[in-house]
Amino acid sequence: MKEETSNNSRRKFLKSFGISVGAAGVVSSFSLIGAAKAAAKKPAEMVNLLTQDGQLVQVDKNQLRPTVNEPLDELQKRGREGIPGKSFVMVIDLSKCRNARKCMSACQNHHQLRADQHHINVLQMQDADHTAPYFMPKPCQHCDNPPCTKVCPVDATFKRQDGIVLIDNERCIGCRFCIAACPYSARIFQWTEPKDAEKYKDLTYNIEANVPQKKGTVSKCLFSADRLREDKLPSCVSACPNGVYYFGDRNEDAVTNGTSGETVRFSKLIEDNAGYTLMEELGTKPRVYYLPPKNRAFEFNGDLLNEENLH
Amino acid sequence: MKNTIKNIAALFLIFIFSGSLANAQGWTVPNSAKKKQNPYEATSKNVSTGKKIYNLHCKSCHGDPTIANMLPLAPVAPTDLGAQNFLVQSDGEIYYKVNKGQGAMPTFEKTISDEDKWMVIAFLRSFDKNKKVKQQVAEVKNPEVTDVKLELNVNEANKTLLAKLSGVTKKGKRVGLQGIEMSFLVKRSFGYLDVSGEDPYTNEKGDVKVQFPADLPGDREGQVNMLVKVTDDDFYGKLEEARVVTLGVPTDPVNPLDERAMWGTRANAPIWIIVTFVGGVLAIWSVIFLVLFQMIKLPKLAKSKD
Ligand code: SF4
Ligand code: SF4
Repeated sequence: MKEETSNNSRRKFLKSFGISVGAAGVVSSFSLIGAAKAAAKKPAEMVNLLTQDGQLVQVDKNQLRPTVNEPLDELQKRGREGIPGKSFVMVIDLSKCRNARKCMSACQNHHQLRADQHHINVLQMQDADHTAPYFMPKPCQHCDNPPCTKVCPVDATFKRQDGIVLIDNERCIGCRFCIAACPYSARIFQWTEPKDAEKYKDLTYNIEANVPQKKGTVSKCLFSADRLREDKLPSCVSACPNGVYYFGDRNEDAVTNGTSGETVRFSKLIEDNAGYTLMEELGTKPRVYYLPPKNRAFEFNGDLLNEENLH
Repeated sequence: MKNTIKNIAALFLIFIFSGSLANAQGWTVPNSAKKKQNPYEATSKNVSTGKKIYNLHCKSCHGDPTIANMLPLAPVAPTDLGAQNFLVQSDGEIYYKVNKGQGAMPTFEKTISDEDKWMVIAFLRSFDKNKKVKQQVAEVKNPEVTDVKLELNVNEANKTLLAKLSGVTKKGKRVGLQGIEMSFLVKRSFGYLDVSGEDPYTNEKGDVKVQFPADLPGDREGQVNMLVKVTDDDFYGKLEEARVVTLGVPTDPVNPLDERAMWGTRANAPIWIIVTFVGGVLAIWSVIFLVLFQMIKLPKLAKSKD
């Protein structure tokens, strides 16, 4: 409360003073911002908002701030601990993927990534000369024996009790050891100022979504850990139009399809379809399972990035 | 007079023509495919199965039949599959289109079984105004009832669930309702797992018995959240019963962080790492101290030599 009043009085002061100073041509950056703030405040622009109890209220636009639900400490603490009793797994049915790439754009929206940065990427695969090509979405495998967390010198990347591997961008020093250690190339590095850095600079850092992204640190797929807390499926899983993804809890032996909403037994799905994990010979014990691209629902129709093939 | 009739006729023709054009949208269906007939009868069982499959695979784009609440996709919005101008097609035509797909409509050749596809077609036919008469409507006639009740009995010893659906007739007698499909659902993190089995229809007493899977995990005590409901709200409105039952296999979730592993927390580092590290530190410091100690001794040694 106290802060607000002092802010207000500063604004008032600037309003009466800053403008005249500005007019006098002495434009320091400070007074410029102050004047701009004051000017923006003057014709109080009102917006209509719906409150939680269903009332329509008018609010001064200048008072709007992005909601911050939890303080940073709380977010960091619960982000490290994970959700007790859960053991998240993903199943990707390769026979249904037709390169729609909706998972990728949903992911990029959620984690504030540019179009060329991927937490999940749809790859064009061909295992050998005479085998059939297919599309393969590849997120972080959330390994149960993750090489990436072992090499981190500052304990910035870690595994939680629900199986998810996360990165704390507040701790990460950008050494990129983990990128070198990951056999699945699941990690990306923020070489430049991330997308919309200016817009989100006041947002409290959320370790479970890696937002806002930080320049000079590493980022990767998080199984949308923030959404899982609200019992929502990961962004990519719900965005797929072709029923490729199943996601669920191995402790419950159930996975739910993101497209149809159908819930099936995890063990049965894997058993019936000969599910496998990527590069199991490395002993990384991935949590992402693949169902082979057998009996494909969609023909493989050529080049990955050919516009015509993006359905 | 004649002219107006002619005009109307012409308009009508144009209307039909453009209608069929818009409908066809370049979907050419081979004649042989058109002739296919639905091998499954339009029994109420098949229709309700079809409805389930429809809700799973088709509803997300096409919306509810006859309601026209489809997704507004561009350039071609999905068709309302309950509309009469869609249902003028033969079973074979619909079957062919479902199989092949076109544009935004995916192919379902391999994602849905043949049987399921015909069930969906049976379900869609139930909206067909022209063919409705031919259809066998509900083979089982339940009397008109009020105050429909769903009771659930759980037998924990042999893991069975018994649901009873009953209603009060006009004469004031409570009777069982027959041939109604029930869903037995187990709550999981992101949805409901259907454990109804093959034939979850009430018998003549209004009872339906379901065997709970022997190996489905529950929580630590084996408890699961169960939801039993009449599958189709259309019959008697929303009827459901939610209950916590102890039918699951008691499962203790393992915390992978309890394991001593290199990727684990600091508190749970592997013993050999702790031993090597502490040993190494001790060894290095003792060497340093040893050297320092010897160096302190040096002047003394020199003195004693003097
Ligand atoms: S896929 Fe790579 S980044 Fe993900 S847990 Fe495994 S090693 Fe780490
Ligand atoms: S780049 Fe960051 S997360 Fe990766 S090993 Fe280095 S400090 Fe750890």
